Amino acid sequence: MIRLAWRNLQRNKARTWLTAGGIGFAVLLVSFAMSLQSGSYEIMIDSATRYFTGHGQVSTDAYIKQPRFARTIANAESLQAALEAIDGLTVFPRVQAFGVVSKGEKSLGGMILGVDFAAERQQLDVYNNVIAGQIPAALDQALIGAAMARNIGAALGDEIVVLGSGKQGSVAAAVFIVAGIVETGQVELDRSLIFAPFASVADAFYLADEAHMLVLMLNDLSRLDEIVAKVEAQLPEPLGVQTWQQLMPLIEQSIELDKAGGYLFFSLLLILVTFAVVNTFVMVLFERTREFGLFMALGMRPWQVIGQVQFEALLLSLLGVLLGLGLAYPLLAYLTSVGIPLDQVGGEEVSRQMQMGSMSRIYPKATWPSMTTAPLVLIVGTQLAALISTVRVQGIRPVSALRAE
Amino acid sequence: MTEFAENAKATAPVVECRGVQRIYQQDSVPVYALRGADLTIHAGEFVSLAGPSGSGKSTLLNVIGGLDAFDAGSVSVGGVDLAALTPAQLAQTRLHNVGFVFQAYNLIPVLSARENVEFILQLQGVASQERRSRAEQALHSLGLAELGDRRPGELSGGQQQRVAIARAIVTEPVLLLADEPTANLDSKTTSELLAVLRDLNQQQGMTIVTATHDPIVMEYTSRQVTMLDGEIRQDGGVAA
Ligand SMILES: Nc1ncnc2c1ncn2[C@@H]1O[C@H](COP(=O)(O)OP(=O)(O)O)[C@@H](O)[C@H]1O
Ligand SMILES: [Mg+2]
Repeated sequence: MIRLAWRNLQRNKARTWLTAGGIGFAVLLVSFAMSLQSGSYEIMIDSATRYFTGHGQVSTDAYIKQPRFARTIANAESLQAALEAIDGLTVFPRVQAFGVVSKGEKSLGGMILGVDFAAERQQLDVYNNVIAGQIPAALDQALIGAAMARNIGAALGDEIVVLGSGKQGSVAAAVFIVAGIVETGQVELDRSLIFAPFASVADAFYLADEAHMLVLMLNDLSRLDEIVAKVEAQLPEPLGVQTWQQLMPLIEQSIELDKAGGYLFFSLLLILVTFAVVNTFVMVLFERTREFGLFMALGMRPWQVIGQVQFEALLLSLLGVLLGLGLAYPLLAYLTSVGIPLDQVGGEEVSRQMQMGSMSRIYPKATWPSMTTAPLVLIVGTQLAALISTVRVQGIRPVSALRAE
Repeated sequence: MTEFAENAKATAPVVECRGVQRIYQQDSVPVYALRGADLTIHAGEFVSLAGPSGSGKSTLLNVIGGLDAFDAGSVSVGGVDLAALTPAQLAQTRLHNVGFVFQAYNLIPVLSARENVEFILQLQGVASQERRSRAEQALHSLGLAELGDRRPGELSGGQQQRVAIARAIVTEPVLLLADEPTANLDSKTTSELLAVLRDLNQQQGMTIVTATHDPIVMEYTSRQVTMLDGEIRQDGGVAA
């Protein structure tokens, strides 16, 4: 039967190659596009999370609901140490306070962020956007947003004063020297942000071994669920974890939207190819009515004839799938290693919109779904196409089929 | 195999048709292909079914072979009443008990001569070793031993029909039905093919019914039946 199926495919070589080629092309296109998609999502998520927010954040449930200054994590240091013990995870604390920032006569409302510069600069890209000076190295140094620097007229080396209200409503005050100016790309942040050493900000605002959040960074984002579970197991009662999906819902939504659009396009393509396959098998049935009549005259049942054609369909789709994957695999392997330069695919615009300073190449990622979806759909589609075009075999009467000259 | 074969070997006739009618509706006009055909064929006979085109020869053969339905009368083959069989059972009957040779388009074009013969054994579920040896043997008995690897397109018309006969007899049927097997052959090849059928009948006792409108066929058969307008007109009976 295999032999018969194979020979029949060879009977009309042009059509076989055309159909298999169509299937192969669809497999190539869809596998490639899906791999490109998953590669671009990965980069998108990675660069978005690595910019400033982190892969996840621990804070108190109350702070998650509404970020008030008093809603801090207690025993922050020991908790940080405990979480860092988890393999593949880096943790750094932040405090976040609001206050008035002044230089001489000029004052502005600002957000004062106490961070561990040494740890954060290794993980986050925002620190690559320091346009003047450097990242603070001493406790009395600060890094301020470019728009704020302009608005209060602060230059490198100038002294700025920060005034706010501390834990129990007491007045908090600190003086910093501007060590660097950062341009994040987001106007609101540039206008209001001050990064200062964690210890200085915590002291000035009367926090004792407290933090507003512990930022979580993973070595491997694909282990997110697993690591978040481990983190959650370590957290005392009022604390919770937010992952990047909750912290940056827009990113996830735009990925979902893009995926949906992709699926729509892939479905259309696959349906189109399936119709071409239907056409092929309608022609097969038309041309081979006499042969099928002969099969049945000899004692084959209609379902056996359908089975035979199903077998031919399977060989045909396997041929096409092998062809498509055979081309897609080396292509993806190559592009996964060298990447696709983004400026050639209009990526500058994209990377600017997504504030991804460091993203210049996109690496397709062949994933299990991206490589198996199109083949599976097309194999099943081809079987169905062959089936719907050959159910009419039931209606072939061997006597008339053989009579027809 | 089977009751069929056993019954056929017994004295009961291999084929028994009584008042068989076959009515086709063509553009809602009834066409009487068979209008009450009676025919009894015993084991070991070689029957020619003559008559002008349209007289119902093919229809009668198809009815006997379980390929076509009939509207009235009774048909039994190997002692089994065909009217009582389901389509699946009829297919089984065709597969195991009846060999067919058609006028044209007998062979599967993409398979070699041997594979064509093996094909029907494969449908029967015969194991591949046995399939191969039985196919070789059938081809050999028809003088085709050398041509087993050729495809139908690489064989002459006469050779193709001999392959078709090989395929028809490889299952050891109780009955071989041939519908104008020589219609597309020249007279020399026709004689050769008829000699093959006669040998099959005389040496192996194969019961054969062949439709024809070529008078020469009748010189080879043991009994000549003539049809006209869907009825048996003349029955030469068993030749002496
Ligand atoms: N499928 C069919 N539909 C309508 N009429 C048919 C069909 N098959 C055969 N006939 C008619 O039945 C009659 C007998 O046909 P057939 O058995 O083929 O005769 P023969 O084989 O002797 O030439 C003819 O009149 C033919 O036109
Ligand atoms: Mg005829």
